[in-house]
Amino acid sequence: MAVSDIAASDIVETVPSALIVLDRNLNITSANRAFYQTFRTSAENTEGCLIYDLGNRQWDIPALRTLLESVIPHRASVEGFEVEHDFPTIGQRTMLVNARKIFSPGDHDGSILLAIEDVSEERAARKESKRNWQLTQSIVDTIRDPLVVLENDMTIVTASKAFLTIFGSTEAETHGRRVSELGQHQWDVPALRHLMEKVLPENKPIENFEIEDNFPGMGRRVFNLNARKISQPGNHAHRMLLVFEDITDRKQRERDAQMLTNEISHRIKNNLQIVVGLIAYEIKWTIAACVPGLKAMQARIGAIAQLYDLVSQSSRGQTVAIDAYLTDIAKSMSASLLGKQSGIEIVVKAEKLEIDPDRAVPLGLLVNELTTNAIKHAFPGGAGHIILSAERIGGDIELTVADDGVGMKNKIVAKVPEKRGADYVSIFVRQLGGAITTSSSEATGTTIKIRLPVLAGPSGGVEPLAA
Amino acid sequence: MAVILVVEDDVFIREVAEMMICDWGHQILSACDVEGALLHLRSLQSIDALFTDIYLKADVHGGCDLAHEAIRLRPALRVLYTTGNRVTQELQAMFAGGTHFLQKPYTEEQLQDSVETLLGV
Repeated sequence: MAVSDIAASDIVETVPSALIVLDRNLNITSANRAFYQTFRTSAENTEGCLIYDLGNRQWDIPALRTLLESVIPHRASVEGFEVEHDFPTIGQRTMLVNARKIFSPGDHDGSILLAIEDVSEERAARKESKRNWQLTQSIVDTIRDPLVVLENDMTIVTASKAFLTIFGSTEAETHGRRVSELGQHQWDVPALRHLMEKVLPENKPIENFEIEDNFPGMGRRVFNLNARKISQPGNHAHRMLLVFEDITDRKQRERDAQMLTNEISHRIKNNLQIVVGLIAYEIKWTIAACVPGLKAMQARIGAIAQLYDLVSQSSRGQTVAIDAYLTDIAKSMSASLLGKQSGIEIVVKAEKLEIDPDRAVPLGLLVNELTTNAIKHAFPGGAGHIILSAERIGGDIELTVADDGVGMKNKIVAKVPEKRGADYVSIFVRQLGGAITTSSSEATGTTIKIRLPVLAGPSGGVEPLAA
Repeated sequence: MAVILVVEDDVFIREVAEMMICDWGHQILSACDVEGALLHLRSLQSIDALFTDIYLKADVHGGCDLAHEAIRLRPALRVLYTTGNRVTQELQAMFAGGTHFLQKPYTEEQLQDSVETLLGV
C-alpha cells in the first residue's frame, strides 16, 4: 500500500502533533487524538467551541490571537510560531504552532489547520545547555592562561577573555577559525597540527608542546601548549580544550641558568685541562717509572671531568645515570690508556640505574681505579676484556668490575698491586656506604663485586671485605 | 707533516697543546681569538688543519663561527673542535660538516689520536 492510499483521517489520528481545524469564525470543527491527550480534553468539550473559550479560556492567549487574527488572514501558512503559556490544565508549556489555510471544494471561506507541537522539554534542555555554556564560559574567562575550545573540525567555538586580551583579537576574529589561521600563523606548525588531529579521535592529550615566535605587540615569546578532549555527560559531541601557557620568563631563567652553567663548566674544564697539561709536561721530563702513575692521575682527572658533565646532563642535577656514566668512563679510559690499536676491550653491561650526585664522584673514581688495575696487570699478552656492570639486587646496587685476564692468584686484590690504588679503593667504597662482597682472582680472571645501597645513607662506617 | 692552526684563548692550554703537536713533527700556527685566526687563514700560508676551542673569550660559539668562515676560505681545511662544555644537540648542529671533536680535558694520547684521525694518518 502506498502512503497516498491511506485515508487522511488515519494519518491525522496517528501523527504525534496535536491538530485542530478552525472555521472562518475560529470555532473548532475537529481535533485529533493527540490534541485531546496533550490538553487533557475530549471531543464533546472541544468541537463547536470558539478556540479562545476552550478549557476555561486557556487558549485566549495574546500571541495566538495575533497569529489567528493578524497573521493568518494575510498569509497562506505560518510555520514555527512559538507560544509560551501557563496552561491551567497542563502548566507552563512552550508550543510550536504551524498554521495553514485549507480549502475544500465549494468552501470559499476556507478553514485553518493548526498543528501544535509541545516543545517544552526541548526548550528547557536548550535553556539548560545555554546556562551550562554560560557557566563554562564564565569559568573559562576567570582562568588566567589563554585558552580556546575547539570543535571536532578544529575550528574555535570559544576563546577565553585572556586569549582575546593577550593576543589582541576579538571574538568575531577567532570564532569559527582554525588555530593555525590565527595571528600571523604562529601556531601553524605541522608537528602541532599532527598532534591536535589525534586529541579527539585517539583521546591523546598534548602535553607541553613548546612554540617560540614573535607575536605582534608582545615581542618574542615562548608558549607551552596543552590540549585535551572534553566531553559532556550524555552528549556524544566532543570538543578540545587548548591552553596556552606563557613560559617566556621561566624559559629565560632556564637559559640564564644554562649560560651560567656553561660559563662555570668552561672555567672548570679549562682548569682541569691546565692540570692535565701540567701532568703531561711532567711526564715528558720524569723518569719512566713515574709515567704510569702520572697517567693514572690524568685518567682520574678525566673521570671527575666526565662526572661533572653527567651530573649537569642528568635531570636537574637530582640523579646520575649509572649506565651512561660507566659507558663514558669506559670510552674515556679506552682512549687515554689503551688507544685505537689495543687488544683490550672495556665492555659495559649496566641496568638503567641512578645514583645521587654526591656518591657519583667516588663511584666513578672507584671504577677508574679497578679498571686501571685490570688494564695494567690482567693482560700481559695485551688482549682481553674488562666488564663493567651494574645491577639492582634488592635495595642494593651491585657494581662488578671483572676481567678475563691472568688473575692474581693468591694475592689479596684489595692490597695489590699498588698500595695507593688499594687505599683509594677502600676509601671510595667506604665513602659510597658500601662493601666489597666478592674479590676473587683465578687463572681465568679477576672479579670484584661491590654492593652499595640504592639510597644514600651515612657513609664511612662500612669496612670493605676481602674475599 | 702538517701545518696546524691552534686557536685557544687560554695561553697555558694553547702552549701545551702546541708543544705536544710539535713533538709529533707538525708545524704550528697559533691565535688566541677569531680575528687572529682569520689573519692566518686569509694569508698565503699553507694550512692543513684548524684545532680550535669553541668558547673563545666572550664569544660563546666563536670557534663554530670561525670554522665555518675558515672552510669558506679554505674548503679543503680539516677542523677539530674542542670545548669543556657539554656537547648538546644544538651545539652539534652548529658544527661544520665533516669536522671532528675532542672533549676537554684531554690527555696527550687523546689529542694525538684526534689529530691522527683528523689528518687521516
